[in-house]
Amino acid sequence: VNGDLQHGTANLLGWEQWLEAHASRLLLFARQQARTEADAQDLVQEAVIETWQRRKLPEPPAVALVFARIRRRAIDLARSTDRRATREAYTLQETAVYWFDSTAEDRERTRLIEQAMRALPEIYREAVTLKIWGGLTFAEIAEALQIPANTAASRYRYGIDELRKLTREAFA
Amino acid sequence: MNDLERFEQELRILTPAKPPAEFIERLRELEPPTSARRTSARREAGVRWNWTHLLRWLVPATVLLAVAGLVWLKFGQPGSQRGRPLAVSVSPPLKADSVQIDEQLVGAFDAVGRLPGGEPVRFHCRQWMDNVVLRDKTRGVVIEQRTPRVEVVPVRFETY
Repeated sequence: VNGDLQHGTANLLGWEQWLEAHASRLLLFARQQARTEADAQDLVQEAVIETWQRRKLPEPPAVALVFARIRRRAIDLARSTDRRATREAYTLQETAVYWFDSTAEDRERTRLIEQAMRALPEIYREAVTLKIWGGLTFAEIAEALQIPANTAASRYRYGIDELRKLTREAFA
Repeated sequence: MNDLERFEQELRILTPAKPPAEFIERLRELEPPTSARRTSARREAGVRWNWTHLLRWLVPATVLLAVAGLVWLKFGQPGSQRGRPLAVSVSPPLKADSVQIDEQLVGAFDAVGRLPGGEPVRFHCRQWMDNVVLRDKTRGVVIEQRTPRVEVVPVRFETY
């Protein structure tokens, strides 16, 4: 029993740390994939549970697998919901949620980048997000997006180029 | 460091927005599945798990078995016949030490008819009984077969 308790406490600590390290980046990705904040939060929660259960290990799941699961569930969700109705109902809510934290000094710059990110085509945006803020390798991005690694790399480079063009003024 | 790398660095400085506190609380409540918790959860779901899994496999398995049975019934028979020579080949074949063929004339008669051209023709008919006796002395087997046979020979009137 002591062993189990100790093991459980270790997991609990691991889980807290895991949440601290990954929750915000997972939610960022989910927000980009979902149409509403509620959907994004549900995506993260369900993806974590599913990935965890599939691994059948007490340790928190690998973050790359959770990203992949979020994307698959987002695709399923988009197929199952009435897109037009959802879009109309939640447009206001979407604009209210910011993707990045900012301080008073860099608020303008952060908002500009966020706008540029929103303007990027989805296929480039997800590659950039997974690489820069998800911290995944191209192989992991390829796995998550179910594309070849070369395609993942080229999508990332194209996305970064586009983002740089769109935000040139902010960094000038 | 080139422009691109510098730009990537700038982007990395940005931090994804902190999730709302209630969302973090929700995730925190997911509770890591320790071995003890996992076991009890499994036990609770045990009956349901068994049934769903059983049904998931039982239905396709039953269909497969039914199809396999039908296929066997339809095409399995020639296969089993094919198997028969294998069974026969296990026992040593018969060795006929002596074979007797006896042709016995049972009866003879003539019949008269006409060809399509009107020409009369006579048929000489003979009834035979062929008797074949096969003996295998080593195995003590005697096989006897009697076969009736009719012989019909047309004979022209002139030659008769």
